[in-house]
Amino acid sequence: MKRKFDWSYALSLGLAVTLALFLGGVIMALTGHDPIAAYRELLRGATGCSSLGEFLTSAFTKRQFGNTIEYAMVLFLTGLACALGARVGIFNVGGEGQLYLGAIVSAYIGVLLKDTAPILAVLAAALGAVAIGGFYAWIPGVLKVKLKVNEVITTIMMNTIAIYLCSWLSNGPWKTTVPNRVSGTDPLNPDFTFDKLIRGSNLTTAIFASIVIAFLVWYVMSKTTVGYEMKLVGQNSRFARFAGLSADRLTILAMTVSGMMCGLVGMFEVYGLKGNYQDGISNEYYFDGLLVAMIMRYKPVGIIGMSFAFAFLKVGAQGMELNAGVPGELYRIIQAIIIFFMAAQNGMTGIVKKWFAKKGGAVRG
Amino acid sequence: MEYVVEMKNITMDFPGIRANDDVSLSVKKGEIFALVGENGAGKSTLMNILYGILTPTTGEVIIKGKKVTAFNPKNTIAAGVGMVHQHFMLVPSFTVAQNIVMSREPRKWGLFCDDRGAVEAVRSLSEEYGLHVNPEDVVREISVGLQQRVEILKTLYRGADVLILDEPTAVLTPQETDELFAILRRVVKEKGMTVIIITHKLYEVMAISDRVAVMRQGKLVHLEETKNVTERSLAAMMVGRDVVQVQQQEKAAPGEEKIRVRDLQVQDNRGLPAVRGLSLSVRAGEVVGIAAIEGNGQSELLEAITGMRTYTGGSIHVNGTDVSGMTPGQIRDLGLSHVPEDRLSTGVSPDADITDNLLVGKHRQAEFTKFGFHQNRKAIEGYASRLFEKFDIRASGMDARVGSLSGGNMQKVVIAREFSFPSDVLVISQPTRGVDIGANEFIHSRILEKRNEGAAVLLCSADLDEVFRLSDRIVTIYEGKITGEFEAGTITKAELGYYMTGDRKAGGAIEA
Repeated sequence: MKRKFDWSYALSLGLAVTLALFLGGVIMALTGHDPIAAYRELLRGATGCSSLGEFLTSAFTKRQFGNTIEYAMVLFLTGLACALGARVGIFNVGGEGQLYLGAIVSAYIGVLLKDTAPILAVLAAALGAVAIGGFYAWIPGVLKVKLKVNEVITTIMMNTIAIYLCSWLSNGPWKTTVPNRVSGTDPLNPDFTFDKLIRGSNLTTAIFASIVIAFLVWYVMSKTTVGYEMKLVGQNSRFARFAGLSADRLTILAMTVSGMMCGLVGMFEVYGLKGNYQDGISNEYYFDGLLVAMIMRYKPVGIIGMSFAFAFLKVGAQGMELNAGVPGELYRIIQAIIIFFMAAQNGMTGIVKKWFAKKGGAVRG
Repeated sequence: MEYVVEMKNITMDFPGIRANDDVSLSVKKGEIFALVGENGAGKSTLMNILYGILTPTTGEVIIKGKKVTAFNPKNTIAAGVGMVHQHFMLVPSFTVAQNIVMSREPRKWGLFCDDRGAVEAVRSLSEEYGLHVNPEDVVREISVGLQQRVEILKTLYRGADVLILDEPTAVLTPQETDELFAILRRVVKEKGMTVIIITHKLYEVMAISDRVAVMRQGKLVHLEETKNVTERSLAAMMVGRDVVQVQQQEKAAPGEEKIRVRDLQVQDNRGLPAVRGLSLSVRAGEVVGIAAIEGNGQSELLEAITGMRTYTGGSIHVNGTDVSGMTPGQIRDLGLSHVPEDRLSTGVSPDADITDNLLVGKHRQAEFTKFGFHQNRKAIEGYASRLFEKFDIRASGMDARVGSLSGGNMQKVVIAREFSFPSDVLVISQPTRGVDIGANEFIHSRILEKRNEGAAVLLCSADLDEVFRLSDRIVTIYEGKITGEFEAGTITKAELGYYMTGDRKAGGAIEA
């Protein structure tokens, strides 16, 4: 199978991003801001650099750039988790809940094992996060396969359950005993938290683990026998069953691994960023990742690339808000416009083609 | 005006096939006119032309004395011709009344749908014609027979007095069929309507029609008053008196029993019994052909044998092993290959390329993997391109989406894959449906090749010629039971057709 690059898709994606940025600029101008200055601040906000030269020489020392990479990491991990399910035809919308559970379980394990060797404690926490996330995704997977319960509905419902369960745990039984703290679990032993790669930024050693995971997901999806089977199940599950593949088993497996990845992202948030579990630890991170996955049609490499673009926009928007006074919500608007254009991609391609055809006809005529 | 419908010299060409060849027929006002023929004889095409869905290549249609100039169902409906399709076109979540008045709803203040008005209109209409339905029932919750009534009422509501029914009894129980026929007789007698009914059940023709037209291979071969024909003579006209092509093969030497089916009971998708206590054996080195009209349980039988459908009673053994509770994959491991009836939904993954479609089933073999998990694309592509050559698949390349191939080439992909397993049991359904002549011959010789190598082949086809050409033994199935079993060469097609319609004595039609 030759890997074919979908030029028309890449073109419409580029067009959508350009149009979205342009419309964002129009909105800024209409609300009395200077779009060019604002976008300059966006670039600076995302990289910490004011010029290309500065970016090339010292980007990896900038706090802002570290934050961009860290957020991209969250996006591609969650996006790939979503893509894994989608590949076999099951849509995991429950990543948010799986992420929350992974966060609180890993935080609690860290608290329980606070006197053990850091390597053991961190490994135990990672395993706990993976196990709970996987289990929490396994449930809707089994329900879908055995009882034909729609996974979109179950996973959305289970998100709410998980988030409120975590809220209750962190405000109740697992609430910190440290004075002056109103909620959240006990802070972790400082030896357990991941080392920062750029001082002051969110970027930690978790990125290395994430790169390995992303590579593995890409490899399994596109190079292995199991990935091939997953693809066939996702394309036509009746055919897959007819051809002797165990579609049910693969569906549950993909869903479980998807949940494991989400659980691990929760653990990364606790051990990399916050140092304990607290409410709102994931600001709908999974849904951002899911959007990225959908826009890139669940293609692993595309998801990784687009994650960086969205992270760039989001982190940059903070700089824009701070230094140019443009509300950070503009990032949401631009993101929404891109999604809107991508959703209309097929129709737009058709219109463009027709337009060209007509023009060509007129020239000939 | 004697004729309500006149069709003159209709010819309809589709790419590569002439579906109607110079067909002329006229239907009298107030008669029940039956149109019969085998699958693919061109009945539905002809009626779709009459209804305005298709525009004929040549020929003209005259409805109530007016020549049709623009073929369009809207115009046809306006002219008073209604059609009830084989697959109902109803909105399941709407009520009976809403479905019937759809697109011509009674209005309130010219803007809002008048639901109560619709119910009233439907109620009086259903009383007028004696087609009893409850207008407020939701269509999803009523029986198929009632849904058909709703379809008929829909055409009546639109003012039709000529009614075309495409295989109306295919989905009905015998009781529902009786009720339908009673209704048809009544509307013809009391309301002066005209009914054209497409069917391939001959006893129904005898039971209901005034005149009957027989089509074969796109041509109208006979037009006669029903009282002058018998079921037997109709069957002969349907399949033709052609000499059955002699099998180009030596006599079969059946070996051990490979497929053994005993007292099998299988249900269809609606949960109704489809296979009712059927027993069957297929031995090594023979082709057993199933001759049956669609919807008589043969699909369910094959699905049960291959594990695609669970069965509710009886037993199936493949290569001596009881396959009860096994998945299709486990049954394949016993040495079974399967060419499914519906290749697009079951036989291929349309979105995958040719290579990926050819590989399935062998993808875990050592030669196609490294370290047991990494795909060896080079070996895979080599293997696929050898099959591609050998089976003469025509496509833009190995990376073409299978869904983009023609029916014949798509079928070759299925055949290439299924025939390259070392299996000695083959279950083959509709091997050449929609396949052009060249590919047809190719597929037939592959099937005979497998048989000569000692495989047991169970073949099911709607094409009787195919069953005749390939089979060593032929069994006829009617309503889920075997009605006859014949050695090749001991029966004519005409006689076979007669067993396929339930072993009824000639002329002994069911009284409705």
